[in-house]
Amino acid sequence: MPRKAHPKQEVEDALVYAEQNGWRIKVGGAHAWGKIYCPFNDKECRCGEFCIASIWSTPKNPGNHARQICRVVNNCIRNKQASDEEED
Amino acid sequence: MKEYEFTLKFSLQDTSSNPENYIDSLNACGCDDALVGIGRTGRIALDFTRESMSAWKAISSALADVKKAIPDAKLIEATPDFVGLTDVAELLGFTRQNMRKLMVTNGAEFPMPVHEGKPALWHLATVLLWLKERKTYKNNIQETLVEIAKANMQINLAKEIRSMGLESTMDIDGLIAKA
Repeated sequence: MPRKAHPKQEVEDALVYAEQNGWRIKVGGAHAWGKIYCPFNDKECRCGEFCIASIWSTPKNPGNHARQICRVVNNCIRNKQASDEEED
Repeated sequence: MKEYEFTLKFSLQDTSSNPENYIDSLNACGCDDALVGIGRTGRIALDFTRESMSAWKAISSALADVKKAIPDAKLIEATPDFVGLTDVAELLGFTRQNMRKLMVTNGAEFPMPVHEGKPALWHLATVLLWLKERKTYKNNIQETLVEIAKANMQINLAKEIRSMGLESTMDIDGLIAKA
């Protein structure tokens, strides 16, 4: 079943980007529209607190909220790669 | 008004509590300009993009908002502040190799680290201010990032000194060379 789309297009686009990178999305909450779950949500995960992030239904600034989501997704991927190449 | 990006990490008093319980009160207290991270039990992190007159005002109002929403949350760290070379490179869009070369070729002129080890750590503000002095990099440095790095350093250091209690009143000026 397709998931419910986020009412703000910019945020929805960011959520699609998260999904393309393997993140799981769960809709539901009061002020929160839902949550996103990192695909590597385990002990080895480098996202830390942002392994699960809460998404607002009416963020103060949808464009910024979308950027915040993309940043978390990118950090996760980048750190995964970095950990493979470490250290000097 | 400028937009400031920074992250605040907190420890919850009840370390077994689910950070999800605080989402609604964070929203009610004005944190709807942050992405809230709830991936670790007993912790909560907020990635803010806050509009404000200054970095200091942005961070202090954010701290006040969180305190209102979760009165017993303890600040762990305001970031970005403590950084390794890789972090600086990422923040500025340099390669890590480039950043490393900058450090090695400038020797003693490069800012002193806070911790010399593996990895070595710097305060981001000291590295940014040093880079800003150099013609080649002046244009790579965003003023809002410098402001945020300075404000975070102030917050983190003040927090550390307070945690030392009375000992911090000891006069150490006589023991170390002034910077």
